[in-house]
Amino acid sequence: MFLAALGIRALKRNPYRSILTSLGIVIGVFSVVVLVSIALGAKELILQSIQNLGPNLLVVIPGSVTDSGAQVGGGTDTTLTVADAQAIRDECPDVWNASGALRTAAQVQSRHSNWSTVILGAEPSYLPVRDWHLAKGGFFGEGEEQSAARVSVLGRLVAQRLFGLENPIGHFITINHSPFRVIGILSSKGQSPMGMNQDDMVVIPLSTLQSQIMGVTYVGVILAAATHPNRVDAARREIEGLLRLRHHIPPDGRPDFEIQALSDIAKTANRMTLILTVLLALIASISLFVGGIGILNIMLVSVRERTREIGIRMAIGARPMDILLQFLTESAALSFFGSVTGGLLGILSILGIRQFLGWPAAIPWTGLALTISGATILGILFGLYPAYRASRLSPMEALRYE
Amino acid sequence: MPETGGPGISVRLDSVTKVYSISGEELPALRGITLTIGQSAVMALAGSSGSGKSTLLHLAGLLDRPTQGSVFYDDRRVDQLSSSERATLRNRSVGFVFQNFQLIPRTTALENVEMPLLYQRVSARERRDRARAILASVGMGDRERHYSSQLSGGQQQRVAIARALVTNPGLLLADEPTGNLDSRSAGAILSLLLERQEGSLMTLVIVTHDPAVAQRAGTVVRVRDGLLEES
Repeated sequence: MFLAALGIRALKRNPYRSILTSLGIVIGVFSVVVLVSIALGAKELILQSIQNLGPNLLVVIPGSVTDSGAQVGGGTDTTLTVADAQAIRDECPDVWNASGALRTAAQVQSRHSNWSTVILGAEPSYLPVRDWHLAKGGFFGEGEEQSAARVSVLGRLVAQRLFGLENPIGHFITINHSPFRVIGILSSKGQSPMGMNQDDMVVIPLSTLQSQIMGVTYVGVILAAATHPNRVDAARREIEGLLRLRHHIPPDGRPDFEIQALSDIAKTANRMTLILTVLLALIASISLFVGGIGILNIMLVSVRERTREIGIRMAIGARPMDILLQFLTESAALSFFGSVTGGLLGILSILGIRQFLGWPAAIPWTGLALTISGATILGILFGLYPAYRASRLSPMEALRYE
Repeated sequence: MPETGGPGISVRLDSVTKVYSISGEELPALRGITLTIGQSAVMALAGSSGSGKSTLLHLAGLLDRPTQGSVFYDDRRVDQLSSSERATLRNRSVGFVFQNFQLIPRTTALENVEMPLLYQRVSARERRDRARAILASVGMGDRERHYSSQLSGGQQQRVAIARALVTNPGLLLADEPTGNLDSRSAGAILSLLLERQEGSLMTLVIVTHDPAVAQRAGTVVRVRDGLLEES
């Protein structure tokens, strides 16, 4: 205890040097904490947007396969149909609901203005599958789907662009010069993981899009929701089996479709951000290491500068261990206070990033504790050699040192 | 004035030699000295500079080890103790006063005097009380908070003496204690040392080349070229 006091007293005697010495550690810990936090924020952001797409979601896209086995233009083929979606809905016990969907781009007009946006053709089951809700009005049902009715549900952004503050429900918009009655407004959903603004679209019945706008019979995608998050894999197997049967693909043949689970995408994203986190932490650790070398350097200088003081202390009865511990406490205190300061600055910056940049940077508490203790240990390790040198001085020679 | 000095220690050096090797070259500083310093004696070690008298004092004070020969404290062999054990022995039994004072820079007089007690793990309060008392007794009571750079040579040496005495050592070793002082301060410091010895049982050894100092000591031993000079 008294040796700790000795070490700290020595630091107070030379405050500028103490501050400058620990600056390296301050910056090191600061950058580790902030960079890791930013990386964790990136992960959070990706997971949020995946979660946003709907829970337990499976995405079936058509895929064409060449003879060589290379897949070209995944998602562009025309092999999936509404009937496939219907079969998945009816015959897969682990699928809770499914909806075929098809999209195109078109110019949409209201009385006041026009807007170029995405037209999504979807079945009535689309909303529950996507776990999406309406802000206003209603969605179309089986009746409208069967009769290819000209009704539309607007995304939040489209509603704003076309109608401003006016209530669009009951008004008409035109898509490719055909009038569509607005029956509902979707709640805001934000960006998809692929970076598309999901509020910037108009949803109409799938059959209407197929027959009246695009003149096709296929669907671009089938979205299926599993009954439970841990039934996703079972649902995937059932859909695969069912579609192979319906598309007459032998068990050893390549399927003409592809099934992606959002959990797979989440896993990939997780792995990517983990790599990012580790990489950033590694880079930041280099500055921490440099800070440790700074401590080593200053402690060596300090031992040399204070050789006579060490001699005096030894003459009046300091044992080698006392000297060793005194210098070790100095470097430990330098690195500890340095890393705590760096940690505090880091927390402040993270709060600033959250507040002013809106980035969901979390404070990595475990990482913070690990970094602070790691940096302190680093300081002690780098202080060990100078302290050892000090303790091995001969009192006689140290006293004579000029 | 508080009683200072523990039971005096008798020091015996038995055919000690000391050879310094500086960049491969062997420089003998002591070439076989046998000397007994009696308990509670006052001895002056005289000789020209380079004669080896300081080296002799450092060996007697366990700051260094002889190349050959042995050192005894009260018939206990001490030169072969580990550096840690020698440090403890120095701390408890030996006080040093140096020519250039050897106060720790940027440290107050009081902190300097407390330091030997610090290494004895004496509590802060007792440390402070004892250091204050001894500083007052050497006439430095009003300079407790001064740094060594704010003190005159004579004052610094008084603080150094207080630091040497605060542990009640049985052996006080002074290496040219007046060498850096003007004649008036020198006389006062010498008187202080002798007074302190007189009021206690401690053994006092003063290294000097000043005949006036040697004259005031009980015994004078002359050192020349690393050997004792028969008187």
